[in-house]
Amino acid sequence: MEANRGQPNGIQLLLAAEQEAQRIVNAAREGNVAWLRQAKEKAEKEIVAFCVQMDAEFQRKVAESSGDSGANVKRLEHETETKIAHLKTEATRISQDVVQMLLKHVTTVKD
Amino acid sequence: MNDGDVSKQIQQMIRFIRQEAEEKANEISISAEEEFNIEKMQLVEAEKKKLRQEYERKAKQVDVKKKIEYSTQLNASRIKFLQAQDDVVNSMKESASKELLRVSSNNKAYKKLLKDLIIQCLLRLQEPAVLLRCRAVDQKLVQSVLDEAKRAYAEKAGVTPPAITLDNREFLPPPPKGADSHELSCSGGVVAASQDGKIVFENTLDARLDVIFRQKLPEIRKRLLRNMQT
Repeated sequence: MEANRGQPNGIQLLLAAEQEAQRIVNAAREGNVAWLRQAKEKAEKEIVAFCVQMDAEFQRKVAESSGDSGANVKRLEHETETKIAHLKTEATRISQDVVQMLLKHVTTVKD
Repeated sequence: MNDGDVSKQIQQMIRFIRQEAEEKANEISISAEEEFNIEKMQLVEAEKKKLRQEYERKAKQVDVKKKIEYSTQLNASRIKFLQAQDDVVNSMKESASKELLRVSSNNKAYKKLLKDLIIQCLLRLQEPAVLLRCRAVDQKLVQSVLDEAKRAYAEKAGVTPPAITLDNREFLPPPPKGADSHELSCSGGVVAASQDGKIVFENTLDARLDVIFRQKLPEIRKRLLRNMQT
């Protein structure tokens, strides 16, 4: 019959369409897997870049702070030297007075 | 139905199947993409947070270390300054100590001083019998003021004059010879003791200097630091 002649073709076409449909869906799923992998790689790269950035920042801070403490140490040393120099000057200035004062007390007997 | 209609229907069905598949595929892709994006963001943020905390911790350590170093340095500086103060003050005492030698060279003044020192010893000891010791070179001088001292003390304290025994066998060390001589030496003065030797009163010039120096140390330091800024 005429109708019968079209049907086997029709069914084959439909089956083919179903298969095609399945293929399309599978392709989407595979695409996801690939995408997931890509996303992971991107994420890792992002993290590594962040890590590098943090580290660079940290190293900079360390260098800056050690430069600072070096300067501080020098400043303290200098201040101390200055203070001691002043001390010695003062000592020379008052030494005679102090010695005389001590002698006076030693040679004066109070009761 | 004719072939044409069947064909048309089949084509429609095929289009429909295809459409459905594409829609489904789209849905799968989009929802998965969204899900993965969220997950990726969360993971990355979590990692970043961890890293940030880690570096914060490290930075704090560096800070603490720096503070400790500064504090240590500050302490060292302070100690250095205090040491310098000490040195300076002690050298004043040294100078005074050297000047002590001149005291005994003025006979008249030294004689009076010896007498006063002996009287002071007697007043402090408050003993009826006293042992006295002096330097060998001072023996004559001391002998010459002994009686006067006895009487002055007796008058002041309202007692009978005590018995003073001047040791003529053992003497106080002699005056220092060199500037940096490490031998025992004495710049003058006397040492008195109760008869049983249990109570001793050192009234040598050196002992007096020690005592005066310790007493006056705060004042000396104050004078020293008075004109120092900060």
